Amino acid sequence: MQQTIIQAIDAIAMQEPDRPAIDVLGQVNTYGELKAASDAIAADLTVRPLAAKAPILVYCDQSFAAIAAFLGCVKAGHAYIPVDTHSPNDRLTMIEAIAEPALVIATAELPVALKTPTMTPAQLAATMADGAAAPVPTLEAGDNFYIIFTSGTTGQPKGVQISLANLQSFVDWMASFDLPEHARVLAQAPFSFDLSVMSLYPALTAGGCLKVLPKSTTADLRQLVLALPKLTVDVWVSTPSFIEMCLLDPTFDAAHHPELRQLYFCGEELTHKTAERLLDRFPAAEVFNTYGPTEATVAVTAVQISREILAQYPRLPIGYAKPDTTLRLIADTAQQEGDRVIGELAIAGPSVSKGYLNRPNKTAAVFTQDRGRQAYRTGDLGYIEDDGLIFYCGRTDFQIKLNGYRIELEEVNHFLNLAPMIRQGVAVPRYNREHKVSALLAYVVPTAADFDAKALTAAIHAHLQGVMMAYMIPSRFEFRDSLPLTQNGKVAIKALIQEVNA
Amino acid sequence: MDIQKTVFDILQDLTGTDFTGSPDENLFETGTLDSMDTVQLLLALQDQLGITVPVSEFDRSEWETPAKIAAKAASLQ
Repeated sequence: MQQTIIQAIDAIAMQEPDRPAIDVLGQVNTYGELKAASDAIAADLTVRPLAAKAPILVYCDQSFAAIAAFLGCVKAGHAYIPVDTHSPNDRLTMIEAIAEPALVIATAELPVALKTPTMTPAQLAATMADGAAAPVPTLEAGDNFYIIFTSGTTGQPKGVQISLANLQSFVDWMASFDLPEHARVLAQAPFSFDLSVMSLYPALTAGGCLKVLPKSTTADLRQLVLALPKLTVDVWVSTPSFIEMCLLDPTFDAAHHPELRQLYFCGEELTHKTAERLLDRFPAAEVFNTYGPTEATVAVTAVQISREILAQYPRLPIGYAKPDTTLRLIADTAQQEGDRVIGELAIAGPSVSKGYLNRPNKTAAVFTQDRGRQAYRTGDLGYIEDDGLIFYCGRTDFQIKLNGYRIELEEVNHFLNLAPMIRQGVAVPRYNREHKVSALLAYVVPTAADFDAKALTAAIHAHLQGVMMAYMIPSRFEFRDSLPLTQNGKVAIKALIQEVNA
Repeated sequence: MDIQKTVFDILQDLTGTDFTGSPDENLFETGTLDSMDTVQLLLALQDQLGITVPVSEFDRSEWETPAKIAAKAASLQ
């Protein structure tokens, strides 16, 4: 019988308890320690009066305790909701309100008081060390394994429910990529970003070691460049934006990192230029471009970017659908453009989520059934070549990707318009030559007639930092007396996008 | 090649703003350049002018305006 994800990780712990599982900047924890800690957390959870299968919010940094808490929740039959410590307080309380978790496990001190009962970092550490045995597993295939919140319109995040079966489909597919044995895998993305799942479970189910580069290292270029030469990984997983930072280090190449064999990119468009730079630096490594929304479990397409593909395609393909999954164009969206038919991509298959937690209307709007399989309308435009190779061409709506983060412009607008110093504001993406959003600008009508642009920019920045994720805050503000309107009185966002990108 | 023009073109592609008329604007203070933009700027300098900036010695104050970036790029070439 095929092992589930948890069984596979535990089997390694029993056979080779001393094998390293997680390495955070040299601080190593083994599979044996991971099993003991997660078993003990699960045992603690089962004696608490928690509603069956109710999710648990894990407020987490990129630590061993965080991963042990995730596995502990699942072993006790509860899905976990990872919320990174770098999230603003509003997001944390909003997720708490929407998800109604049974418990909060905090791997770092909570920045605000929550109304949910909380296991503090000190209590968590004591629990992890108490050696209790795990309960009998109760999580079934259709039960949620994790719930990751993405950005939502009007400031309301949406919790994507990923079941054990969804995740299993993804992990099984990743196993077909022939990862090096006991691979050391880069874990850079924060756990509230589902790109982190591409490192986490493919590595741990295969006896690999997660090499964690925490945000404290990656947020500062100088620190990163100091840490990079000491990093030894066989498998790289990150956004294209992150590896671009690494390319600033001239010693980040095959001569200095001969062990680096495979590089996986997801979370935003891999540009031709970046892929070319990578193949120049690492001529013998395999570079994979992958694509997928959080709603379909991390990634559903992949393709190796070879020299031939670079030569053939100025805009790189996102790959072929994984074997158990179908991508097709939604019929009434498909349009002939030149010699191609472009339309909105829909994904159907076993890794497609059942929907958004406690949001039936939002779920019904984008999740459907397609020939008996769960399907998701991506909002992404693409076309599919005859041999099944898929290409991404942009969004159907005002959702953008900036540095790997998914941002809904309406959500940014919502916060802009709530700011007291702004009468009316609208966020406008700026695209570079590689079709990639390079910056988010904002056109703003200030509340005050008389203002100093520099001081006002600083005031708006300070205000927005308190209410929204840093990556969503526009980098530049253009002040106007009024904004152009469409015929039905809405801000003419398309006209502004054209103006910015002219 | 005109380094000044190349630098200003790179900045315009990155930020959407033509700094020809405001070469002394502080790009970090105004929030025009964040750390990701800085990466793109340095990569573009690498690609287009063959300049490798020693990131470990990167001092923001030497790169904070379009004019300073152009001067720095010229000195490194």
